[in-house]
Amino acid sequence: MIDVIASEWMKLRSLRSNLYLLACSVAAVLACAGIAFMIGRGFDNQTMDERMAFPSNGDGIGNGIAVAYFVFALLGALTITSEYGTKMIQTSLVAVPRRQVLLLAKVPGLAAITLVTGQVLAFVMHAASMAVLGDRAEQLLRDGVTLGTSLSEPGVLASVVAAGVSMAAVALIGLGVGAAVRSTPGALVVLTVIIVVLPVVAKTLPMPLRAQAGSFMIENLPLQIAGVGGGMLPPAAAAGLLVAYVVAALTAGATVIALTGRRIKVLAIGAAAAVLVSAVPAVAAGSPGSGPSTLAWADCADKKLVKEMRCAPIKVPLDWAKPSGRKIDLTVGLLPATGAQRRMGTVFAIPGGPGGSGVADLSKNAGSFAELRARFDVVSVEPRNTIDKGVLPYDCLVSGPWITWPDTRTEWAELGRRNRAAAQRCRAADPEFFDHMDSASVARDMEAIRVALGEEQLSFIANSYGGVPGIDYSRLFPSRVRAMVFDGSLSPWMDRAQGRLPHEESFTRFAAWCAATATCALHGQDVGKVWRALVARADRVPIPVQGESPQAAYSGFDIKEAAAPSIISPGPEPDFPRWTELAEAIKRAAGGDASGFADYVRQSTKSPKVPAFIGMNMTHCLDGLGFRDYEEYRTKRREGERLLPNIAGIELWHPLACVGWPAPVTNPPAPLPAKDLPPYLGVGSWTDFNSSADIVRRVPGSAAIQYQGHGHGLYNAGNSCIIAHVNRYLISLRLPTPGTVCRKAVT
Amino acid sequence: MIEVQELTMRYGGKVAVDDLTFTVKPGLVTGFLGPNGAGKSTTMRAVLGLEVPSAGKALVNGRPYASLPRPMRSMGALLDAGAVHGGRSAYAHLACLARSNGIGRARVAAVLDQVGLADVAGKRISGFSLGMRQRLGIGTALLGDPGVLMLDEPLNGLDPEGIRWLRDLLRSLAAEGRTVLLSSHLMNEMALSADHVIVIGQGRLIADTAMTDLAGHFQGDVLVRTPHPEQLTAVMRAHGATVVTEEDGALSVRNLDAAEIGVLALSARIAMAELAPRGASLEEAFMRLTEDSTEYRTGNRATSKETVR
Repeated sequence: MIDVIASEWMKLRSLRSNLYLLACSVAAVLACAGIAFMIGRGFDNQTMDERMAFPSNGDGIGNGIAVAYFVFALLGALTITSEYGTKMIQTSLVAVPRRQVLLLAKVPGLAAITLVTGQVLAFVMHAASMAVLGDRAEQLLRDGVTLGTSLSEPGVLASVVAAGVSMAAVALIGLGVGAAVRSTPGALVVLTVIIVVLPVVAKTLPMPLRAQAGSFMIENLPLQIAGVGGGMLPPAAAAGLLVAYVVAALTAGATVIALTGRRIKVLAIGAAAAVLVSAVPAVAAGSPGSGPSTLAWADCADKKLVKEMRCAPIKVPLDWAKPSGRKIDLTVGLLPATGAQRRMGTVFAIPGGPGGSGVADLSKNAGSFAELRARFDVVSVEPRNTIDKGVLPYDCLVSGPWITWPDTRTEWAELGRRNRAAAQRCRAADPEFFDHMDSASVARDMEAIRVALGEEQLSFIANSYGGVPGIDYSRLFPSRVRAMVFDGSLSPWMDRAQGRLPHEESFTRFAAWCAATATCALHGQDVGKVWRALVARADRVPIPVQGESPQAAYSGFDIKEAAAPSIISPGPEPDFPRWTELAEAIKRAAGGDASGFADYVRQSTKSPKVPAFIGMNMTHCLDGLGFRDYEEYRTKRREGERLLPNIAGIELWHPLACVGWPAPVTNPPAPLPAKDLPPYLGVGSWTDFNSSADIVRRVPGSAAIQYQGHGHGLYNAGNSCIIAHVNRYLISLRLPTPGTVCRKAVT
Repeated sequence: MIEVQELTMRYGGKVAVDDLTFTVKPGLVTGFLGPNGAGKSTTMRAVLGLEVPSAGKALVNGRPYASLPRPMRSMGALLDAGAVHGGRSAYAHLACLARSNGIGRARVAAVLDQVGLADVAGKRISGFSLGMRQRLGIGTALLGDPGVLMLDEPLNGLDPEGIRWLRDLLRSLAAEGRTVLLSSHLMNEMALSADHVIVIGQGRLIADTAMTDLAGHFQGDVLVRTPHPEQLTAVMRAHGATVVTEEDGALSVRNLDAAEIGVLALSARIAMAELAPRGASLEEAFMRLTEDSTEYRTGNRATSKETVR
């Protein structure tokens, strides 16, 4: 056998035409470079947001791999068909009468030469693509990968190597087909169908079928073997399939060549092997670490939701300390993975509020999750503390007393009485329910959903106050966390005044904008001075809202609370409509009428002044957001007044709503089990980054990335740069390098 | 030694080789004769295991060719000098085949020298003439220095010098005790090359005999020239002769030998210009044998089938 292998190696080497043929594979490099060039040209002509929506060029090999396959398949086929074409096969069979030995002896030499040239070619194709893309290759896209993926990125080296190996496999497939067809033109037709026609046909199929069929195309196997995309097969199955194709082709060739001989045993073994190896992908096709879901997915009852949203009910204990006690119903919402890529698992979008419905949020922001859904199911929940759940009266939950800034113990006690009375009104409908609205219970509900989903682990995007149940989940079920993103989340450990420093900076930006903008009502005045004078005056004598009945009047504290959302969210550039309105409101209030603030507040609250939201506080207060006592309040207030010259007090607004609360703190802030957690990612804007960063810095290896602009809930809002970094983290667990920032998109 | 035993090769309904049995012995050059389509090549392909017999078997040194461990060392074969890849050099072609049977490069060089291709060893085969390809094919057969040689139409395309070279080579190989079988559809070639001849027609054995026996077995005629052909013809016919008048007026006489014709002419007082006995050519003998096989084909099996052993 060794002699025959050596002989076949000499045959392969002694034909100059084989060398010329291999040289033709340069065309594959040209295809890669040419398409990369066109992608680069198109890329340059787009806005940043459009660029980030580009599909990744990946390792760049895919654009030319069909050309390489064609050359290699032809080389493999010619190894045997040229013998038939020249009748050399007769001479060969006289020298080596065992036909299958003759065919199989061609395999090692062909494999050796194509493995080497395939590797060289794959790396040159990759290098050419990357070189043509140049710096553009580093641009991170919304689908979580860069425009061009370099060898330093995870899985890319493997995918390039696998591409080279697949070329050798295709050469062997060519050999098998050549032996089966026994003519060069015939083999060309069959191989063209396999390499070119079938993949093109697969791409024209409707969606779930397209991805399934595409997964089985040879050209999509290298990426799947490397586990970086290409289709739905897990790496082992993709590798098994590649081997199966080779075995099947060689078996077909061996069958035909043996038909005139009588070596049926080898044939039978080969056929059995082909069947066995083909079974590999079928067996291994399931997703990693996921069992069957016990949730009964159906169309959602709420018809306002996007139509691809699926909903399922789940029952959880109201009091997790009594698991067999009273049950409550939650609705889980699912945006299923698109099936374009192998499903990696489930991302749980934890809604903010507290009191928001994650299902409604997910539906509203479905577009932000489009790229993520190529690899993940995305689920969320209408959590137990959703304010429109119907257990507690909605109108009660969305209202509350006006919060004051107590100067004395008497005023403190008075605030507590008002808070308690309002809370009791809502609580009366179902006191047991009202007393179990803490975020730890929400986290345990999420764990129940994980179990029902059949997932070993979950990945999370915690939006805003969703960070608190995210933290609680990390604390309670650290081994179930694959990854967690905090997007504009409140850090329970951060000093509240410190946390508001960015808001103070926003005020400075507002003042600077006003100084530079002629349309600002306060243009030409010292905005800081006007503001502080107004606040001080209103704290002494509240400024009435003219035309309001019954009479409402704004204290300085009220003004700050009413102005805060406008200060940190000025609205779209370049008009900044809410800054414009704010300046008008300040000007009017300075003239003795607070209706500018009241009009704005009434739009969202139906109240002339911002009321405490019982629906939020029923969670806030159980989560320990409030003050221990009056002394702590005084200390914090002094600290705030020192750090926040323009907005001191707004950091105390939510905690003050818990003064006198009727239910005890059941879920106070507690440290994270840092050692047991994977690295986390924090994201945030100018105004909420510090808080997200404060959470993740407590988990070793974590990173945070700031969007240098206004906003809150950046992922949901569709911020392309943040989506790109979050998706990369969720897909490949890669974090941005320290110092990375998201700049405002320049159009 | 090559043994063909009750070999039958059937393709669909057509019988190419029909119950053929013969043995090719060592020490002799054996000719394998038959008209085109007689089944010579098919028989040789069966010997090489390229075709699977419908019945019977073909053995080389007592074993099927395909079961020989390094078959080129036992038997060298040339089936088709054109069965080469024109893109390879003569040297590369031989070297590839040699390697498959564990034959060294020194032997490749020696064979190239032996077949007279040493000067063009590095040239691509596509530029070779038919004669050069024939020499390359013979070289292929010689590579393993085999004890048995089987060559299909090896003289095709060889120039007279080449034909003489090959005849001398084959005779010397046979003289060394090797088994040599070469096929041809031309008897004349074989007459000078072979010691023994196996003749087949329509896939059946017609003759398996020494070359000298074959020539002697078929009677010749006597050439007669005379100024009075009509009279002499009448006299000879009266004595049982078969007389045919040839184009130039000469008479071809059978069933009387030259001496008898001379006595008859003298007694009839007819002058003779020429009297010459003619032996039957091997070509004629071969034609007559294969005519028989044609007759046989038309169905006259019982009466005219003649097998010479």
